[in-house]
Amino acid sequence: MGYAYYVGLAINGAVEGLTIGLAALAINLVFAVGRFPNATTGDLMTVGAYAGIAVQQSGLRSLWLQGLAAVGASMALSLALYLFVFRALRGRGMLAPLLASIGLAILVRSVLSFFAGHDQYVFQLPIVRPIMIAGIPVQSYDLWLGGVALVCVLLVMAILFLSPIGRQMRAVADDLTLARTSGINVDRVYLVMWLLVGFVTGVAGMVLGVRTVVMPEMGWNMLLPAFAAAVLGGVGSPAGAVLAAMVVGIAQEMSTPVLGFTYKIGLAFMVLVVILAVRPAGLFGRVERVR
Amino acid sequence: MRFNRREIMLTGAASLAAAMAPVGFARAAEPYRIGALNPITGAGSPYGSGTQKTILFAAQEVNDAGGAAGRMFEVFAEDTQTAPEAGVLAAKKLIEVNKVDAIFGTWSSGVTLAIMPLTDAANVILMTNSGAASISTLDTKDLVYRYSTTGIRSGRAISGVIEKEGLTRVATMAFNNASGRDLVAGVKSGWEEKGHSLVAEVVYEPNRPGYRSELQQILAAKPEIIMLGSYLPDTTIIVREARQMGSDVRFIGPGYAIAPKLSESLGAEAVEGLMAVDYVSSLDSSAYAHFSKRYQDEMGSDVGENFYASCAYDMVQCTALAIEAAGPGADNTKIAANLRKVSNPGGKVVSGFAEGKKLLAAGEEINYEGASGPLDFDEHGDVKPLFKLSKLRSGALEYQYMLSL
Repeated sequence: MGYAYYVGLAINGAVEGLTIGLAALAINLVFAVGRFPNATTGDLMTVGAYAGIAVQQSGLRSLWLQGLAAVGASMALSLALYLFVFRALRGRGMLAPLLASIGLAILVRSVLSFFAGHDQYVFQLPIVRPIMIAGIPVQSYDLWLGGVALVCVLLVMAILFLSPIGRQMRAVADDLTLARTSGINVDRVYLVMWLLVGFVTGVAGMVLGVRTVVMPEMGWNMLLPAFAAAVLGGVGSPAGAVLAAMVVGIAQEMSTPVLGFTYKIGLAFMVLVVILAVRPAGLFGRVERVR
Repeated sequence: MRFNRREIMLTGAASLAAAMAPVGFARAAEPYRIGALNPITGAGSPYGSGTQKTILFAAQEVNDAGGAAGRMFEVFAEDTQTAPEAGVLAAKKLIEVNKVDAIFGTWSSGVTLAIMPLTDAANVILMTNSGAASISTLDTKDLVYRYSTTGIRSGRAISGVIEKEGLTRVATMAFNNASGRDLVAGVKSGWEEKGHSLVAEVVYEPNRPGYRSELQQILAAKPEIIMLGSYLPDTTIIVREARQMGSDVRFIGPGYAIAPKLSESLGAEAVEGLMAVDYVSSLDSSAYAHFSKRYQDEMGSDVGENFYASCAYDMVQCTALAIEAAGPGADNTKIAANLRKVSNPGGKVVSGFAEGKKLLAAGEEINYEGASGPLDFDEHGDVKPLFKLSKLRSGALEYQYMLSL
């Protein structure tokens, strides 16, 4: 097998990693600011994908409009979850919101399958042949989806690191009490954070939906790999989550000529164990200082 | 859906009256209780309701013909939800509360394997459509009967199709579960017996964001056809990715994966000529003619592709005939021992219980030829069902030919 074969594997891994990375990014946003692992992340993605499908079924064929609907629906749901549930659970430790999020995830999925059924839906896109770049077949959709995911990540980073609200968000993530005493409007920070989570999961749901099939369990199935990437990247580190997901994705696919396909997921978790043994806080996490 | 409650009360009252009658009078025999344990909800739901309704009307037919060896059939309906946990709860209820003698129509292997310890311990006859090979080997008392076949045998039938289609370079891709691996193992063994070898084989983990690396490995071996041991969602993704990768490779798979829905999802062009292997009822038999008419009357809809309902019809007929042949007072072991006698070759061909009952009374040997197939049970209690090959043409499945195992 030539180098094209391995480059192909690496590209597959990178694209899969980017898809999971978006979910991991959403998890780490909530973890950094809200301080709990958000189990509704997967189902926020699913709702986004179904919103896109709803637009398609109504006859509008524009992928941009479908994507817009996906992002809108996920943002609306994310905001609603915060306003009606997670806001009341602020300051109640990690366990209460975690359990609530697991319950909400099941609720969202049940409501969705009650109305939309268990049948699969598909984004109806023309099937295009690959284009050759330096002897390597590349999917134009991969380039598009990869591009969209990358832009989404960069946008979140820009908001986090270049805007005033991003700076406030990082301040809240660092130390809630200190942030509040220095006059930061914590409520506003939470609101923006949940909107951001909705945005990211909406894009992630759309990307996953276009690549696979839309079913009620699609997002939930991504939750475990996304959590793994979030932990590996460093809990609470948004950029680390995306990078970790891509590293795992690429390592996973590159291992298949040796390990085969059933053990590649096992390998991903092996990587996780080894890295956490060396760096307990993850690739980009910081160990909490004892004061 | 439910058995007429009044009828159950009546049979109950009748048997109570019989029990209280003074000894020495001819006693009405104990009813034969059947649990209709079917996938009303969950993945098997397209088939479950029709299957259950069929058991109910078939039992009514037996009762109308005067019962089997004097015993009336009494049916208790339950839902497996196509899930082992729910299936076990329902089976427990049927066995312990309703005291059923037989359970008919379990569908997924997960459910069947989970309830087998219960039916085995209670000496309950179990008739199923599940495909796991281990069902045959775990049945130590010869009380389990399969009205379809194992995944491995289905796979062997598929290898026959591939040869018949004149294809030589064959690869397999299997969903990593018992059903997917069994199908592919069957294709492999059938194909190797024909003196060929597979060019590539992959077992994949389900629920991934894509299967492109898997396909890349398969396609590198340049197969003419890929045999899929998959379900509809993963088949959709795999076929689309193969086309996106620029491959025109053909696919063959089970009828629940290569379905018209696939063409709805991907467009008719991408799936043109894909091949589906599926069970088919014995469409030309007189048992099927009778069954499908009754089904239409009872359900208000055509039996269509519900092969499993025709199996359920046969489960009731075969059991009734076996009870009749075993004579009054026979226990399940004796009844089961008569199942092969009334349905395997050697006797006069019959197509229903009433007809068979008359011949048995006249002392003749019979051979029930069912709505679902000829029903000749082998030593494992399995039959050789009929398979058909269909191809997707302009978005619809088009019948090609029948296959033999």
